[in-house]
Amino acid sequence: MLRFIGRRLLEAIPVMLVIVTGTFFMQRFVPGGPFTAEKAVTPEVMHNLEAYYHLNDPLWKQYTDYLWDLCPKRFHPGELAKGLDFKAAFGVDFRPSFKYPNRTVNEIIADKLPVSLELGGWSLLVALGLGLPLGILAAVRRNTWVDYLCSSLAMTGICVPTFVLGPILVLAFAIHTGWFNASGWYGPIDRVLPCLTLGNVYAAYIARLTRGGLLEVLNQDYIRTARAKGASELRVVFRHALRGGLLPVVSFLGPATAGILTGSFVIETIFQIPGLGREFVNSAFNRDYTLVLGTVILYAAMIIILNLAVDVVQVLMNPRHKFE
Amino acid sequence: MKRTALWFAALALGALALSGCGRDGTSPSTTGSVVRISQRNEPEDLDPALASIPDSFFVIRALSEGLVLPTATGPVPGAAERWEVSPDGTTYTFHLREGALWSDGEPVTAEDFIASYRRLLTPSTAAPKAELFYPVRNARDYVAGRITDFTEVGFRAADPRTLVITLERPAPRFLDYAASGPWIPASPGVVARWGRQWTRPGHHVGNGPFVLSEWLPNQRITVTRNPRYWDWASVRLDSIQFVRLDDGESEERAYRAGDIDVTLALPYTKLETYERERPADVHRLELGETRYLSFNTRRPPLDDPRVRQALSLAIDRERIVTDVLRGDQPAAARLLAPALLGSAGSGETPAGPPASGDPAAAARLLAQAGFPGGRGFPRLELSGWSATPVLEAIQAMWRKALGIEVSVSVREARVHVAALRSGAYDIALVTLIPDVADPLAALENFSSSSPGNYPHWSDIGFDKLLAGAASAGTPAQRSAFLFSAEKRLLEAQPLAPLYFNVKIWAMRPAVTGWEEDALWNRTYSHLGLGLPSGPAP
Repeated sequence: MLRFIGRRLLEAIPVMLVIVTGTFFMQRFVPGGPFTAEKAVTPEVMHNLEAYYHLNDPLWKQYTDYLWDLCPKRFHPGELAKGLDFKAAFGVDFRPSFKYPNRTVNEIIADKLPVSLELGGWSLLVALGLGLPLGILAAVRRNTWVDYLCSSLAMTGICVPTFVLGPILVLAFAIHTGWFNASGWYGPIDRVLPCLTLGNVYAAYIARLTRGGLLEVLNQDYIRTARAKGASELRVVFRHALRGGLLPVVSFLGPATAGILTGSFVIETIFQIPGLGREFVNSAFNRDYTLVLGTVILYAAMIIILNLAVDVVQVLMNPRHKFE
Repeated sequence: MKRTALWFAALALGALALSGCGRDGTSPSTTGSVVRISQRNEPEDLDPALASIPDSFFVIRALSEGLVLPTATGPVPGAAERWEVSPDGTTYTFHLREGALWSDGEPVTAEDFIASYRRLLTPSTAAPKAELFYPVRNARDYVAGRITDFTEVGFRAADPRTLVITLERPAPRFLDYAASGPWIPASPGVVARWGRQWTRPGHHVGNGPFVLSEWLPNQRITVTRNPRYWDWASVRLDSIQFVRLDDGESEERAYRAGDIDVTLALPYTKLETYERERPADVHRLELGETRYLSFNTRRPPLDDPRVRQALSLAIDRERIVTDVLRGDQPAAARLLAPALLGSAGSGETPAGPPASGDPAAAARLLAQAGFPGGRGFPRLELSGWSATPVLEAIQAMWRKALGIEVSVSVREARVHVAALRSGAYDIALVTLIPDVADPLAALENFSSSSPGNYPHWSDIGFDKLLAGAASAGTPAQRSAFLFSAEKRLLEAQPLAPLYFNVKIWAMRPAVTGWEEDALWNRTYSHLGLGLPSGPAP
């Protein structure tokens, strides 16, 4: 298993290099730069700005300088626990932001990533907590009103986009009843509406996948055997069927977790949550070259690691799969 | 089963652990006298030298103040209690307040101001708004690195409380420059100690009515009353919170939910409802900004002034402001907004296009230019950077009055500006946003060498008139030059002014003493909360 993980991590290096290179050059060819504003700056000022950020250097030099700053130069993962400082932990320097002169991209990530992770973590719990029971219930009571109710709920969840559900929840529970704040991310109560909104869509998918996976398994011979041996229905479902039935859900969890973490932009905007997703999208509008690169690299690394984790979990859950 | 359960437990634990990383704060408090103001753009920095957007100065002006303060009626004393101007108009002597202190207890001296300005003008600081110092002798050369000795720049401390500023040439509007945001000082000792991080809470030191007590990036900035402020007795609030909200919609929701007291702008779709249901909350302020159509004069047929005039005359500006924008913005018959000109704007105005347009004259002009009834007119592109129905309205007016078809395209903001600069567009909707209330600076955008000359229009006569205004001996002569320059611009029509922007925002009736001028400059020392005239909804 360690060999498998090691090899996959080695394979990730060229992938990351392609991502960094592509992002670096693509954003330079987009019209407009970090200092493009409707109110133009004078030529002297533009010159000084470009000199300060080394934008006057040849592009290849800017690229190689950046790559060097990016290269891990040490390995103290323990430092991460102290505040997600990638520079202290690995010597990875994402450089100062173009838009926010007094902050570095490392600082912005350290500040915003935990917020997105928290939002994503709770949302994932909502998704699993709602999706799994609904799916199991629907599968066990197949073709009864319970199944139809659960399945329609799931379908509705998939069909209602977050940018519709979010404002509706705000209207109902913040403006109308006043139970929650309409926006912000201050106390635990501010977690409720965003996490429900974001978790809802994934809960719906999980419910459908669980139902489908479970139904397939429930028709198999070994389930019949289990029943024939006199196992209770509860035992059949939870002990024998669920393990196989959840495989599709587990393969979905990898991309879903990545999606929840990187795709939280809409939720962060609706509820004004100071997370990394909002920084990411705004950085593209601001042409904040270093912040764009920093977030892209981080997201890419997260997706690679999550996919790897899913593969490992799948092998552990299904003995027919092997590490290869 | 056991292993499965284990994995799920691990997953759940992981999620919990991640969630533990988040910060726990308190929700926006409403106790004490606090006014919560929507902050639509995160300040790039709270350093007056490095900030460039008005939104940054919204916060900076609560924390520090310059020599003079901008108000709707012109500059008033700030850190300087009075000043004298030399008879030739080139030397300004500012007298700082006695006993004025920074928030760390250090005295505010003339040297502090000079050190701030020196830092701002130093090329390696790369201050984006250094331009606002160009009226000062040799400031531009220092920014460009052509001179390196700062003593040659027109700043001198006659004594710790007297700052003498020498200008390149008489500048009647100089006080407006001195009132602009970048002229706000930064304590040199604090800057030296912390470098670019001096603006963090705990490091920040200012000379304004409030001190920085919290800065959660992209979330909230809190400032609290500064007991060392020279006029602290008249400051009525305990604190101000600047709450970060991305757009008009979330801002409006937050206002309705009672999370904020002041918005930046009401979405125009909500305007009617607000005016009907809570008229006391709706406020209007005419701005010094002009929305105009920029014609790319390098591209035929727009190189023909008759075509540009025809396009401008075919627009019914009255209908755009009443039916499309529904905000009663003043239709623009000239380039410079009345709110920008202030008292100087009274008197004769250069004649521009009539507010309701003149379709018949427009059609005649277009026929003279070789396109009778719009026949043979190429399909041009009308572009803007925010989706606004104004573009479609103009498209329809041109179709009806001139029989021509244009396509409308909305581009991402910086793509739009890059196209304006490089001349890769046909006709574009642009906003003229002056930094200071100086008509000369606004008109200079359209001089041949200006980077803000989006029509790419070059007219020697116009440039000469501006040069004449810059070196005019008396304010009257200067006004005459500026008047002729604007007239010439309107005759050649490289651009068609449409309307002057109006800021329409929501503010709770309990909020009093809101002070803001036509260029987004705010001061907060008189901001307060009146006796609640009713419970906040």
